[in-house]
Order: sequence, then C-alpha cells, then structure tokens
Amino acid sequence: MILLQTNLGDIKLELDYENAPETAKNFEQYVRDGFYDGLIFHRVISNFMVQGGGFEPGMQPRKTRDPIQNEADNGLSNMVGTVAMARTMDPHSATAQFFINVENNGFLDHTAKNAEGWGYCVFGKVTDDSMETVNKIRATRTTMRAGHQDVPAEDIVIVKAEVVEAA
Amino acid sequence: MTTLFISDLHLEESRPDITGAFLSFLNKNAVGARQLYILGDFFEAWIGDDEHTPLQDQVAKALKTLSESGTEIFLMHGNRDFLIGEDYCVRAGATLLDDPALIDLNGTPTLLMHGDSLCTADVEYQKFRANMRNPQMQKMMLARPLEDRQKMARQLRELSAAKNQGKAESIMDVTPEEVVKTLEHYGVQLMIHGHTHRPDIHELQANGQNARRMVLGDWDKNIWWIEASPGQQPELKKAPL
Repeated sequence: MILLQTNLGDIKLELDYENAPETAKNFEQYVRDGFYDGLIFHRVISNFMVQGGGFEPGMQPRKTRDPIQNEADNGLSNMVGTVAMARTMDPHSATAQFFINVENNGFLDHTAKNAEGWGYCVFGKVTDDSMETVNKIRATRTTMRAGHQDVPAEDIVIVKAEVVEAA
Repeated sequence: MTTLFISDLHLEESRPDITGAFLSFLNKNAVGARQLYILGDFFEAWIGDDEHTPLQDQVAKALKTLSESGTEIFLMHGNRDFLIGEDYCVRAGATLLDDPALIDLNGTPTLLMHGDSLCTADVEYQKFRANMRNPQMQKMMLARPLEDRQKMARQLRELSAAKNQGKAESIMDVTPEEVVKTLEHYGVQLMIHGHTHRPDIHELQANGQNARRMVLGDWDKNIWWIEASPGQQPELKKAPL
C-alpha cells in the first residue's frame, strides 16, 4: 500500500499489481525514489477528477523517467475512487502524473487499440477511509496559474509519499 | 445575472481534456448564470439518443445538475450533432432550440444560429445539409438498428480520416450578404453563432443601422464563450484549455 501524506490529510492507495503490473511498479518506483515528495495536486475539477504528481508549488515541473506502456486494456474502469495515470494525447506517454477519479468517468476507459480509444490506465484505488481527504481536495477553490486552469488557489502538497505495509 | 453562450466543443472520447474543461466551465462559469446557450456541435458526432455512451451520459448528468441548481440550459443542433433529440435534452435538463432562434437578450433582440446555414457559398454542403435536416430522412436513419448506425459512423470516420490524412477539414466562412439578409429578415441588429471556428466580433450595417455579428470559437487550444450581463455589451472571452 502507498501512503500519500498531504497537507489536507492522508490518502492510502492500493495498487493493482495484477492487472496493471508495469504501471503499478512504475508508480511504486517513483514513490521509493521520493519523487512525489513536495509535489502538488495541480488540477482539480470537482465533478471530474483531481490530478497531481508532476509539479512543485509555483507550477515548476519535476524531471521524470521515460514514459511507460499504456495498460488501459486491462478491463479496469475509471470509477469513483480509482487511480489512473495522466498522459498527453499519445497513449503511451504516462510518466509520473496520476489522477484520482471523483466521478464515474467511464468515458476515459479503453475501447480500442488506437490513439482515440486507448483510454487512461487505472492501476489502483484509494481506500474508503481516504475519500474524506480526496473530497477535501475536490472541494478546494481553484484559479488559473502559469497557463494552467483549475489550479488550487492554496497549494495542496504531497508532503511525503511512502510504501507502507497494509494494516 | 449573466447569460452564457458556447458552441463547437466537439466533445468526443479522444479529447478528455476538452470534456474536463467543459466540466470545469460548468462549475466555475455556469453555476449561478441565468442561462447557458449551447449553439451546436456540442458533440463531435451523434447517431441517436439511444447510444448512451459513458461520455454522453456523464455530460447529461453534469448539465442536469446545473439545471437543477437554477441555470436554464438551451441546446441548438450543429452540423455534427443534428440528431440530438428530446430524450437526451430531458436527461440533460435542457430545452432544444430551433436554428435560428430569436431571443430577448437583456432587452436586445438577438438572433442565435449554429452558423452553417450562413455559409451559402458552399453549395455542395448546403445540399447535404438540406438532405440531413429533412425530418423523413432523419426518421429513416434513426429507425435503423443502433449497431448499424455505429458501424456507419465508424466507416464515415475512417473515410474522412483517410481523406484528410490528419488535416482538419476546412470550413468555409459565412457569406456576408447572407448575414445581412438574415439580420434584415428578422429585423435584428445582433447575431451570435459558431460553426466557422473563426471567433471574432464583426461590425456591419443592416436594416440601415449598425449591427454586430459575434462568432464563438471552437474549443481546442482555447475555450471560448460569450458572456452577457444586463446593461453591458456582450463580451467574447477566451481562456487556454
């Protein structure tokens, strides 16, 4: 299990190593490297998803490893509470940025092995008791910053991300 | 209280960034507005209200939430989503608008259109449009099984992708004389439309007076909307996607 300690509370993530092996391992490696420590949730759309893991406060990007293969064809769906990898228009461009679905976003799911239909790879979910923190993030006031829409007006920081034993 | 106009979002599964921007626009701009007018090509494609894709259902749900919060929602057909029907509008808490539609915008009679009917220089397209807007033709199309319509839409997409090889299809601009003719037919000095992907404000003469044509932009690199508040000129606004 992954524990994200944020300034709004803890979020525990259960990664799905079985259905999204490469993606889950990739995420875990970033956690072990301390990559996420000090990064913010930079895109919050309350009726959609909350996204983070790419920028420092002030919208400074942090250098990532190479992108990974998209495993969105694993049958997992972008339902409330699931965690998926963010990416550019290129299906196989995910690196470190992830998002937590706060609505049932089935339209993000895999439908076909082409650029249009590849979808967004779900690789885990937050634990039920973490939704309280997720909902706090979701309810935050957003503004425009450095050309990005939907940036929380007050920084929401991942103070520390670590791998912990499941309780 | 403001009135908002948007068009040409071309919502589709392959552009979740646009869907995200739209959901955000609903939260930030539309909540608290008196009315939201969507002037066509809201969806990139539409083959019938019975398709119920996750995208269609989720957008309907978000619109319904907005309508229940007190914002009136009006939806006009575009050239890509002209088959949107009453059923979807009910699910979205929206009212289907005729094209053109004459409204009272804070005391100013205003003509709303998608805009494709103004592009009269594109003779071939106008023929296609007349055919597609024929109620009997639409009825026949919608009577075919959903799977057939989905297959047809897929083939059309592949065909147009092959034809354009990734290039955006060109859309002709409006015919200026047609604009004046339309303004004079309805006796109005303000027109708002989309379709051409050429966002701008044009000053012109119609009915022997100053007139104005406001053109909404398509949502791609920027999002575009028109905001009208009582006692103020409607404003064309944009923000990065």
